[in-house]
Amino acid sequence: MSNKKPTLSSTRQAFGDTLNLMASKNKNIFVVSVDLKSSLKLSKFAKKYPNRFIECGVAEQNATAIAAGLAKSGKTVFLCSYSSFSPAINWAVIKQSICYNNCNVKIISAHSGLLTSAYGATHQMLEDIALVRVLPNMEVFSPCDAIETKKIISVVANSKTPAYVRLVRPDTPLFFDKKLSFTIGKSHVLKKGKDITILGHGPILHSAFQIHNQSLAKLSLEIINCSSIKPLDSKTILKSVKKTGRLIVIEDHQKIGGLGEAIAHLLLENNLSPKFIHLAVDNQFGQSARHCQELYDYYNIGIKALTSAIKKIIS
Amino acid sequence: MNLFFSPQTKKLQKLSWQLRQDLIDMSYYAGHIHIGGSLSALDLILSVYLSDIFNFSQNKRMRSPPVVDASKRTDDNFILSPGHTCPALYVVLAYLKYFSKVELKNYNKMGSILQGHVSKDVPGVLYSSGSLGQGLSFASGLALADKLDKKSRYTICLTSDGEHQEGQIWEALMFANKYKLNKLINIVDCNKYQINGSTQDIMPLDDLAAKYIHFGWTVKEVNGHDFNQITKMLKLAKQSDRPVCIIAHTTFGKGISFMQYDYNFHSLDRLTDFQYKKAQKEIKNHLK
Ligand SMILES: Cc1ncc(C[n+]2csc(CCOP(=O)(O)OP(=O)(O)O)c2C)c(N)n1
Repeated sequence: MSNKKPTLSSTRQAFGDTLNLMASKNKNIFVVSVDLKSSLKLSKFAKKYPNRFIECGVAEQNATAIAAGLAKSGKTVFLCSYSSFSPAINWAVIKQSICYNNCNVKIISAHSGLLTSAYGATHQMLEDIALVRVLPNMEVFSPCDAIETKKIISVVANSKTPAYVRLVRPDTPLFFDKKLSFTIGKSHVLKKGKDITILGHGPILHSAFQIHNQSLAKLSLEIINCSSIKPLDSKTILKSVKKTGRLIVIEDHQKIGGLGEAIAHLLLENNLSPKFIHLAVDNQFGQSARHCQELYDYYNIGIKALTSAIKKIIS
Repeated sequence: MNLFFSPQTKKLQKLSWQLRQDLIDMSYYAGHIHIGGSLSALDLILSVYLSDIFNFSQNKRMRSPPVVDASKRTDDNFILSPGHTCPALYVVLAYLKYFSKVELKNYNKMGSILQGHVSKDVPGVLYSSGSLGQGLSFASGLALADKLDKKSRYTICLTSDGEHQEGQIWEALMFANKYKLNKLINIVDCNKYQINGSTQDIMPLDDLAAKYIHFGWTVKEVNGHDFNQITKMLKLAKQSDRPVCIIAHTTFGKGISFMQYDYNFHSLDRLTDFQYKKAQKEIKNHLK
């Protein structure tokens, strides 16, 4: 594991750029915006395709059903906001207008998790996965970095089902293998190992590559990027856990309703009971901080917490 | 233009520039701040707290812990619905010694009471917000409880114009009319801009006053930086038999030349040294 400083890049920029590119080939791609155009890096799109950029103002519920109506008329609609508002304010509209009516709307939500540091609790969305995971017809994806964001956006733009894609505010480390392709329902083993499975979604998974503790140097960690939260890649996950017998799930989300819960359920249904630690926010609200690492430490989901979890799970 | 300035108006005017300086300091030291709307809302919040029209005496002392128990609270209610303009409320509360002014430098730092969006953990603050559109409904709940309990308390809510694009605002308007919440005053900070452009371009509100009137509210329009006008209307608002809306026409980024009318100053991570010096100089000129 190297000490090199990772290259940082923006998942939001990756989204905006990819959509822009795809829209030039696919005239059916529409954006429904709620006054967060610049934040989701859609200014170019809006300029280039004014007729396919629909600005609804700060009105998430209205925008959501409008997106569903456009989709029912054959458009591939990207509904773009922050996760604190979409799927939070518009959840019942997502359930009825998008999911129950099975409309081709992609919900792209930035500023997820504690990574929205300075803004504080109302803008640190820690419940979005729980909200969308529970909805029939909805697929849920959480890219680990900008490279994977590009791949996920290209894939969902060509699918016909409702989907949720979780993005974040700051630039985050690049660590997804460029050569890998993204497939719905498929997880990637980013590093093979045999002692402990570390599994997570989103940029926080990068901390698994930053464990530089001497006493742990001999351990072989298997690191799995579980960006496809729904559908889950049960095959890859079960195979790894059977091999290691130890599982740590790490995520920038509430414990309740998060990926960890989905995995625990998967394991139980398959009669597996590995040693299991779930690193996630434990029934608390977020708070403001200038640096996200301070929050990760405070809520016990940072590198220190991961190091302790590794020590605990092998003891 | 009103040529007569009362001593109180003069005092508020001077204070307005002093607190603008605090906001600019915060923009220089903060990790991230919503400055455009904070600068437009400042004079409205200042008028609510410092014109002696409303009662905010109970929670003033730093020494006594803030009274949060609803049955013991005697102050009027103030609700800031657009939580992102909290810096404007923070500088007013700091001036009134609800908490130490030093704390302003810690805005949105880990462990500070001064969160990036307004939080009930700040002495004197009743309601945490950040997600737009909910504050007027919350204020209506407070006002209804007071009405049922036969309390004479006023509830003043500050909303922003862009926020009126949320459907919930209009649901609150119907509710306040139904229950004749005559001690509810909604001040709208009409600065005419939001994140990505003018409110007219993003989603026009058109004749907001007419809309409020149709919803059964009493409506007044004022220049939101003219303390004579604002305080006069606040006094009048206390006498209404219906909920009152004061549409305050304000200037986005008020007082700082390069921020005024520029929606790119909706929020920023930090002022550059050059911007900070320029803003300081402009404020100093007003304080002369
Ligand atoms: C429900 C909700 N949607 C979106 C946002 C993101 N947001 C923050 S401020 C803002 C623009 C608000 O404009 P306005 O209400 O006029 O505020 P001002 O211009 O006075 O800052 C938006 C869309 C939010 N805070 N809440």
